[in-house]
Amino acid sequence: MSRGGPLAGIRVLEIAKVWAGPYAGKLLAFLGAEVIKVESRANLDEMRAYGGVDIDSAPYFRSINQEVLSVQLDMKSDEGMAHLRAMIAASDVLIDNLRPGAMERSGLGYEDVRAIRPDIIQLSIKMYGSDGPLGYQTGYAPCFAALGGLNALVGHADETPAGMSIRYGDSTVGAAAALAIVAALHHRETSGEGQFIDLSAVETLSMMVGDSLFAYGLTGEMPQATGNAHADMAPHGCYPCAEGQWLSLAIADDREWRAFCTTIDAQALAADPRFAHASDRLANRDALDATIAQRSPEWNAEAMAQALLLAGVPAFRSQSSLDLIGSEALWALGAYRMVSDAKGEVRPIIGPGWRMTPDEASITRGAPLLGEHNHLVYGAILGLSDSEIDDLIARRVIW
Amino acid sequence: MTALAGLVIVETAERVTGEFAARLLADFGAEVIKVEAPGGAPTRAIGPFHEGASTLFRYLNSNKKSVQLDLAAPGDRALLDRLLARADALIDDHGPDWATQHGLALGSQPDIVHCAITPFGQDAPAHWQVARPINVMNAGGWAWHTPSESAPDRPPLMGAGRFMSDYEAGLEAALCTAASLLRKRRTGAGQAIDISEVAVQLSRADCVLGRMLAGDAEPGPERTRYDMGGPGAAFACADGHVYLLMTTRAHWRGLCALMSDPDWAAAFPEDWLEYHCTPDRVADFRRHFRAWIATQAKDAVAQAAQQAGVPLVQVNSAADLIDHVQYRHRGFFQSLGGALHPTVPYRMSASPVQLHSPAPTPGADQAMLA
Repeated sequence: MSRGGPLAGIRVLEIAKVWAGPYAGKLLAFLGAEVIKVESRANLDEMRAYGGVDIDSAPYFRSINQEVLSVQLDMKSDEGMAHLRAMIAASDVLIDNLRPGAMERSGLGYEDVRAIRPDIIQLSIKMYGSDGPLGYQTGYAPCFAALGGLNALVGHADETPAGMSIRYGDSTVGAAAALAIVAALHHRETSGEGQFIDLSAVETLSMMVGDSLFAYGLTGEMPQATGNAHADMAPHGCYPCAEGQWLSLAIADDREWRAFCTTIDAQALAADPRFAHASDRLANRDALDATIAQRSPEWNAEAMAQALLLAGVPAFRSQSSLDLIGSEALWALGAYRMVSDAKGEVRPIIGPGWRMTPDEASITRGAPLLGEHNHLVYGAILGLSDSEIDDLIARRVIW
Repeated sequence: MTALAGLVIVETAERVTGEFAARLLADFGAEVIKVEAPGGAPTRAIGPFHEGASTLFRYLNSNKKSVQLDLAAPGDRALLDRLLARADALIDDHGPDWATQHGLALGSQPDIVHCAITPFGQDAPAHWQVARPINVMNAGGWAWHTPSESAPDRPPLMGAGRFMSDYEAGLEAALCTAASLLRKRRTGAGQAIDISEVAVQLSRADCVLGRMLAGDAEPGPERTRYDMGGPGAAFACADGHVYLLMTTRAHWRGLCALMSDPDWAAAFPEDWLEYHCTPDRVADFRRHFRAWIATQAKDAVAQAAQQAGVPLVQVNSAADLIDHVQYRHRGFFQSLGGALHPTVPYRMSASPVQLHSPAPTPGADQAMLA
């Protein structure tokens, strides 16, 4: 049942909840891996409970876990753990994002797991990583962004740095996890050796501002939240337009500036000596922003953005959630896909950030029902018969 | 041994996103050959500068080699072909027009892994390809929804630093290139990868935007549509800032204990966060909490909060991180060439990432073209 893709033939077991771990699993599945999510009715992924009462129709869960297979297993029973160990023996990768110590308490620490499968690649996502003086600590994505030095750089100048949108962070951590796993697959391919990958969510978000951290170490100049100000570009920011819209602009050089002035029909602005050259515009940034903001409320943001782009001026309308899901361009560019689930329901999902030619992995299946693939997986991987599987279900080992 | 040892990657990228993607792969041990135009890569001209050199360039190009080629000149272009003939992958971040003009259109290198990163993907209108990171952050929705609780009259924000969408897309490009290189090891076949910076950003919002797309949640024009409600926010404390996220009654009980059960807290129902989290109550809570937290030192209060099971953490600055006890333990910053380099968040037991050489001078490895 290969779906093609560069990771075809790779099997991943995912014991993960909420967002970062499942997002890593999804990316690997979107690249063609067979990703098996191990779940239990006794210890559900919280995302199956948010936003509704039907654990098979939970909106949060369905928004993340496409192209992943679901099997149930009671990890608190010896019999369930025996089956899990047999699954590990048949897998290439094991991912978790459980609380610090939880895997070890279940007998799934790296030493335990490599005893089952010596060349396994085990990746564990923790807030601060798996060991060290703060390795015991736990938190959520907005905490990672605060701790990692990212939120300090987001906010209006001279205010408490408000940080990124509260939703930012988990998925980025999942992407870093997926990358490390693929690198480890290369290492196994050439050396035969598996390994343990200890991923820190906080450090992942530090990496997203790495140039600022690096520059501080050399220059001693503390990076700050500066709204939309840019050290090398002015105008650079978001400007208010008609009907509550905003237009983003990033003008780097004099050619772009002249094209901007022509497009907005402001020859007086083009002739204003305060803004004549890039260095003048940077020096008079506040006056420039104020001057533009006097004119911009008359603009239709979308029309002006398109006119500016045609003139070679970097601009784009700021898009709301309503704009995004209604964007014909994003649909046409393949950012959204259609999948169907076990109930035959067709629904749109957000596709991957890439397209590949040839041999892109097919993406057609929605998030799984709880235990949807019990028979398929336990039959194909563990060689259990349907009646044996039914017996395990009846005795709540598969639960 | 490092994970990608033995693989050769040519980098013709000239923006942060492609340079970052290739650096992530160089960190795993791939031999990354950076192709710089005469005069040097454009990122060498971007500040801040230290001792006359771009810190940005230095951060993005450690572990790489450099050759200088004028790809508009036939002789140099032929040298690039010789490099590509022994390469496993090519990473580029120019628009399709530039790539076509230079014989590097996506699909033109079928025998290797060819990854091209653009703001909206290869099929977008040509004039959209000039978008810069602040435009991409606005096109993809993070700006509209940042920060949380944005008032409608305040501008959307571009995110952290100048290159957030570049880093996200670069991470995705590294992932796809590494995956495709695994396929090449196994099958010998190449693959073309088309990364869209905006599509990456949308994917990162799957759990919120995806529900709207599917009709499970209402989209809308409000700046607060990605928000979760509740009292979570950044607050000023005695010596900096902290971030509080509080969503359950256990968090509330823990915080009350941390504050020594102040009288004002008694007016809040025990389960207010779950069932009675009205805007008035949030405002009331914040007014009281703001006064209390302003008297607290961030490290001490965060440590106590962790023990009390309350997600209250430091808003760390660059200075805090360079001297951070956990970062030191994990070796997140590594010293090379007199500079502390932030590295990567994954510690790998068998094939650890190695920082082995500082960013090259322009054409430092020109001899390899001979």
